[in-house]
Amino acid sequence: MLFNKRTERIFFWVFFPLALLMPLFLAENTFFVSKLTSIMIFALFVMSLDYLVGRCGLITLGHAMFYGLGGYLFWMIAPEYEAVNFWVYTFYICMIAAAVALIIGFLVLRTSGIYMIMITLAFAQMAFYFFSDSIEFGGTDGLFIYVKPETSIFGLSFFDLDNPTHFYYLCLLSLFNTLIFFRILIRSRFGRVVDAIHENPGRTTALGYNIFVFRLMSYVIASALGAYAGYLFTLQYGFVNPSMLAWTTSGSALVMSILGGMGSIYGAILGTFVYEGLHYVLEHLTEHWMLFMGALIIAMVMVFKNGIAGSMEKLLEKRT
Amino acid sequence: MFNSNKMRNALVAAMATLTLSSPVLANEQPIKVGMMLPFSGVYGALGDATRNGLKMALREQAAQLHGRKLEFIEIDTEARPERAPEIASSLLNNSEADFIIGPVHSGVAMGMLKVLRGKETVMIVPNAGAGPVTGPLCSPNVFRTSFSSWQPSYPMGKVALDKGYKKVVTMSWNYGMGKESLDAFEESFTAGGGEVVKKILVPFPKTEFQAYLSEIASINPDAVFVFFAGGGAVKFVKDYDALGLKGKIPLLGSGFLTEGTLEAQGPAAEGVMTTLHYADTLDNELNKAFRTSYKAEFGKASDIYAVQGYDTGLMIASAVNQLGGDISDQQALIKALGETTVKSPRGDFTFSAAHNPVQNIYLRTVENGENKVIEVAAPALADPARGCKL
Amino acid sequence: MTTSLFLVQLINGLQYGLLLFLIASGLTLVFGVMGILNLAHGSMYMVGAYLVWYFVEHTGSFGLSALISAVIALLIGILMERTLIRQLYRRNHLDQVLLTIGMIFVFNALQGLLWGNDPLGVAVPSALSSAIPVTDVLEYPVYRIFVALFCVGIAALMYFMINKTRLGMLIRAGESNREMVECLGIDIRKLYTIVFAIGVMLAAIAGVAAAPMSSIVPGMGEHILITCFVVVVIGGMGSIKGAFIAALLVGLVDTFASILVPQLSSMMIYILMAFILLIKPQGLFSS
Repeated sequence: MLFNKRTERIFFWVFFPLALLMPLFLAENTFFVSKLTSIMIFALFVMSLDYLVGRCGLITLGHAMFYGLGGYLFWMIAPEYEAVNFWVYTFYICMIAAAVALIIGFLVLRTSGIYMIMITLAFAQMAFYFFSDSIEFGGTDGLFIYVKPETSIFGLSFFDLDNPTHFYYLCLLSLFNTLIFFRILIRSRFGRVVDAIHENPGRTTALGYNIFVFRLMSYVIASALGAYAGYLFTLQYGFVNPSMLAWTTSGSALVMSILGGMGSIYGAILGTFVYEGLHYVLEHLTEHWMLFMGALIIAMVMVFKNGIAGSMEKLLEKRT
Repeated sequence: MFNSNKMRNALVAAMATLTLSSPVLANEQPIKVGMMLPFSGVYGALGDATRNGLKMALREQAAQLHGRKLEFIEIDTEARPERAPEIASSLLNNSEADFIIGPVHSGVAMGMLKVLRGKETVMIVPNAGAGPVTGPLCSPNVFRTSFSSWQPSYPMGKVALDKGYKKVVTMSWNYGMGKESLDAFEESFTAGGGEVVKKILVPFPKTEFQAYLSEIASINPDAVFVFFAGGGAVKFVKDYDALGLKGKIPLLGSGFLTEGTLEAQGPAAEGVMTTLHYADTLDNELNKAFRTSYKAEFGKASDIYAVQGYDTGLMIASAVNQLGGDISDQQALIKALGETTVKSPRGDFTFSAAHNPVQNIYLRTVENGENKVIEVAAPALADPARGCKL
Repeated sequence: MTTSLFLVQLINGLQYGLLLFLIASGLTLVFGVMGILNLAHGSMYMVGAYLVWYFVEHTGSFGLSALISAVIALLIGILMERTLIRQLYRRNHLDQVLLTIGMIFVFNALQGLLWGNDPLGVAVPSALSSAIPVTDVLEYPVYRIFVALFCVGIAALMYFMINKTRLGMLIRAGESNREMVECLGIDIRKLYTIVFAIGVMLAAIAGVAAAPMSSIVPGMGEHILITCFVVVVIGGMGSIKGAFIAALLVGLVDTFASILVPQLSSMMIYILMAFILLIKPQGLFSS
């Protein structure tokens, strides 16, 4: 079975059917469709981080670099006034991001723990200042994407990216695929070695595995997916800004991932929806939303051990 | 702590949609004013002042609204550009705001613009100076009641030349507004034969200015021209004084250097000379009345950000009045707004074809903790609106 | 660059570095002894600055206000440790990260509620408000020299405390073997409360010292937090000596980069950190 936990299966069968039907209820209000879309995009980003932090034990505070890169890369390689193919450019962007991740990963994975947090932050900050300081990339004002890609495969087009509902389904599909992808990855031989490394690096080395290679591969995969999320984010409103690469973006993603339950993968979706949902409700309710947000975060750390997913599992799993 | 008005409005709106079966006359619905301003963080003070001014004007001008009620939707942008398109889309598609007021930060302005250009709402920028807003990206439904970055700084070049300064060092944070301000100063200063001997761009939001000031002291130019605002402006002016440059090398600036910051800067700001589209001591009745009632209501001195918010309110009220309270025709509304002469505390101003104010720029100096007007540095100055086809 | 300008920049760099040390010392102390990553450390820097402003407005005396602010910070530290941090010793590091991020939100919100968003300033205490002429144009303010010396004093005090006193001995013992200290009948919980509160107080004192020479604004804590972490990590987490040397290094590199390579100055401290971690993955003086 792809999902070995009952909680995970319940989540899967509740979340995806609901998400599939949601636009039918919201057809009148394009904003909520867009809002849910952007939460799903960020959930995809958080999920890629969750794999890295929770599954591989590689804590990074520089993941936003790839998120921003996804957006800027599209602006760089796509012609300005011509609709390119979405899938082809998805491939390009993921490949370029993977190449960048390969080089940076090669450097940062020599460190571990808090030192890795800080060295990933260092690279992300360099990228952040590179984009905010250069006039060619629009500086702090950012850039506009004028023409969105078309999505045909062999002449058949399923999604019109200018239609919010279509874009919603594209992002839902992406989120679904990413979740399934990570589940397959985790259950594969590769994933088992990664788990073993997280559990006990010394022993895994003794078994003859080159743990550096496995970590590097994981870093590359997560970074490419992070860039894909940034690419989707950029396409949603056609706007790229260096603040996408700011350390606060990495920080928020980390918060959502911890909140959801580290390493559970599906927890990333839970964490993102809970955090973004609370943020949305509170900021519309009171100007002092930060006070309540902070208090709720503190309360949730105290109450949930191992995040929301962890607490749900404690409640729902049969004790054997 | 919870905004009870907001809660009540939300409830009323919800009940209205549930119970009303007969069509409502457009004029009986409230005019929805969405605000996208920073209410927390580094730019929080600017957002607060803008909102105060805006609400004050709309309250004073209530008679002009032809009985239309107002509904405010206020969202904290946190000055985060990447969130701007989403918040703008929320105000446009969810709240269906008639007016969307914002932002303070230029990056946020660009994100809003991407979503709101050419849409069924009117966007009014009460601060952000980003050139493109009323330049290459100008749009019929986008107005600005503040300034383009070019406007307040351009006249200072001539002022500097008149004072006999030939060699000047310019300095600002390395971001859009700062760079545009320095360029505007340089444009008029070098055209008149001046020379910018060094241009210093400080990474945003760094406020360690000592190293730069030591270097400026060693260059010893005729004057220094800077753009800084808010907390950075406070720190810069204090450092300039503490390191002994004040009184030896004249400090010139875009007026934001001494707006909303004078109390924190204290005596260090005395004598600093700036150009801006407003000055505290402007001698007109409107300004005096505005300053008195602002001080009475909010317990602190008003600044340019409050004036800009206030003028945004005046502009909306005047257009609503002209249309007899019916703002459902967007074309008519845009026309009315564009033709408004805003009777502002800064002096009357009109709008250019690109929807940017055509306004006086004043030369001011700080005296006894006030921006005192010296003269009009450039009368009825219009932004060149490079790239705008309106 | 002339010799005199070089010397001035050297002093600028050292002075900035010493202030960074003062802020970073508490962070590295808390991590070294307790293994707690306190992201709300920057918030305490902000709290210190706002507190001293508030009390100067009411008492008029900077010295008295500084003292009151430090005591209040100490109490806040004790309260934070007793009510929240204590619950998380046995939990994951990342839970601590989440908790302290929650605290950042709360501190920022309280700052907005209590003191508003306007930038604030504190006047330099009059006894220290003079300046020493350096060149024809440039002067060096006495207050900044005083703060630099004060930071050196704190560094010396910390060195003395950790190496020569009973508390320091316990701290060193607790760092290397927590269980053993407990077995010897020492109440480690009390020790942790004291250390955490001192860490918080150091951040607040840095905020107090910086207040007269900077602007007091919302969000001032987050910006300094990152620089602070850079210092602590370059020095080696938990090493006070490392933090001292790293702070001076960061101060000097930042100052000279601003002048010599302005195009790269925004990235320079990150380049420095990445470079050092690539050579020494545990920082300069890791324990």
